[in-house]
Amino acid sequence: MPDTRRDFLRSLGAVTVGAATAAPVSAGSARAAPAAAAPSAALADAGPHRFAMVVDVGKCIGCQACTVSCIFENAVPEDSFRTIVSTYEVVEDGRAGMAMLPRLCNHCADAPCIPVCPVGATFQQPNGTVVVDADRCVGCAYCVQACPYDARFVNHLTQTADKCTFCAHRVTAGLLPACVESCVGGARVFGDLADPESAVSRLVAKGDAKVLKPELGTRPHVFYLGLDDRLAGKVEGQPTLWRPSAEQHT
Amino acid sequence: MSILEVVNVSRDVSWLPWAVQYFFLIGLSVACFVMSLGLAFDRGDRTFARRALVGALACGLVAPVALLADLHQPGRFWRFYATPNLHSWMAWGAFFIPAYVGGLLVYAWAVLRPDLAAAGAQSDHMLARLQRIVALGGRPVPRLATAAAVVTLIAAALILLYTGMETMVVRARPFWNTPFLPLQFAATAFTGAAGLVLLIGRLDGERNAAADTAAARWMAGALTITIALGLAWFALGALGLERTHAQALASVAGHRAWQVTALWAGAATVLPLLLVAWRPAGWTWLAALLGLHAAWMFRWTVFIGGQTVPKTGAGLYVYQLPLGHDGLLGIAGTLGLWLFCYLLITTVVPARPDRRSSLVSA
Ligand code: SF4
Ligand code: SF4
Repeated sequence: MPDTRRDFLRSLGAVTVGAATAAPVSAGSARAAPAAAAPSAALADAGPHRFAMVVDVGKCIGCQACTVSCIFENAVPEDSFRTIVSTYEVVEDGRAGMAMLPRLCNHCADAPCIPVCPVGATFQQPNGTVVVDADRCVGCAYCVQACPYDARFVNHLTQTADKCTFCAHRVTAGLLPACVESCVGGARVFGDLADPESAVSRLVAKGDAKVLKPELGTRPHVFYLGLDDRLAGKVEGQPTLWRPSAEQHT
Repeated sequence: MSILEVVNVSRDVSWLPWAVQYFFLIGLSVACFVMSLGLAFDRGDRTFARRALVGALACGLVAPVALLADLHQPGRFWRFYATPNLHSWMAWGAFFIPAYVGGLLVYAWAVLRPDLAAAGAQSDHMLARLQRIVALGGRPVPRLATAAAVVTLIAAALILLYTGMETMVVRARPFWNTPFLPLQFAATAFTGAAGLVLLIGRLDGERNAAADTAAARWMAGALTITIALGLAWFALGALGLERTHAQALASVAGHRAWQVTALWAGAATVLPLLLVAWRPAGWTWLAALLGLHAAWMFRWTVFIGGQTVPKTGAGLYVYQLPLGHDGLLGIAGTLGLWLFCYLLITTVVPARPDRRSSLVSA
């Protein structure tokens, strides 16, 4: 499976070449390019997977394309976000620079949002994705309180808990999560940690990937490359300038 | 080095003012029930205990409504019983609440039955007939009263335990993640309950110095414990003796709004304590309202204030009380429902029974 948008574009090239040499199969057909489709199918199959994401913060340009594509893909209501790129201006030794930190649900291995759910509506799938059964959720928002990353919210349209699902519906169909596919800088890499040959496995194996709030022992499965430790926890800084909630009420 | 947060998410408060009302009312109910136990064991001032029981009933009936309203999917409450996740304190609460409210109703009926029968025998008005029906004969049932008192006391303790633990276990919020919190909830509940008993005394119009003195003693004790707990919490954080407490304090200490809140909280505990210690003329009204205010304000600060502290971002989230059902209207609605329950209870239950220990002597 292509793990980033660039890999995906590269594999599109393979589709085109495959189509040219294997006419009359349509290039738009999933069958057209076994070489490209097979890895997607590998992630879509039931076999033991552990999905994860690696975010190279050095490649993120803060364009929020992921934020917007997630909103459209998942019908996220106004004023709510499943992912957002926190953006910081860091001034050090008289020099100013921008730091980007794409945030989303970390699909924690020891997710604090799961045990608190009084009706068992939040659970972890065998592939590691933490999801909410919206038909069972009573909207008590206990999970929203328990998530240490502010990754959850109550969806005002469904009145149930909402969060990133790693685009489970897309992954099942052999596609990448919308944020990965739309990432302009190629900063987001999605894949299967259970496969030692996957891009995420290779990046994590290098040993310099970090997670947010490691001291809490939640074992997040969103890893960051090049993360400044001062941004890994609750950021001590001047507060945000852009506050959609505040603006709505004033 | 300095960091300026240019873009970040702002999360809404998801435990609404309904939750504040629930924790406030259930705390008052439990503490009032404990204060009313003299009725079952024939101890202490009977008027004080009866007022406390009226308070326990009115608050105990309204609290679950507020809790239900805090759910974003109230129609699915049956899921708490159909698919409970017993790793969650909230799931246990769904069993403790009916146990407590049910026990409270049985206990109230057992201790008030003779009074109801006596009041019902005085005339043949509709109310008197209703009182006779509710009294079911009116024979004292001291064993039932004692048994119901013990069972309800256990359920009441479980309510205090679960409401405290439910909040305390949230490690994501250092402000909540402290073993002091269940104790602070309990202490402030007793402060508010003593205030409510004083208020009910003023509303029923009967002057009774002994009942007021009993309430003042409860309030003084509860406030002293509240102050001790608050100072201990502050010392742990300020002296850096414990990491979570230091984090909690650091997350709010630099903000003007929280500095004002700290002063407000100090005044809300010290002022009623001075009042109940000195008891100047007309102290009961003010002490009643200040006691209730202390209990409510503590919960507002913990729940609404606590949720304005971002878990990852800088500064504070902005919260403005909405005027609709998830804000001011909700608060007014619970108070209106409380008033309705209070009037209903005090209409059916005679305000001034003339026998001192009707439970055992009739
Ligand atoms: S980031 Fe939050 S919502 Fe996601 S799995 Fe971890 S605790 Fe749960
Ligand atoms: S809001 Fe829904 S998913 Fe979250 S704890 Fe409550 S019932 Fe569970």
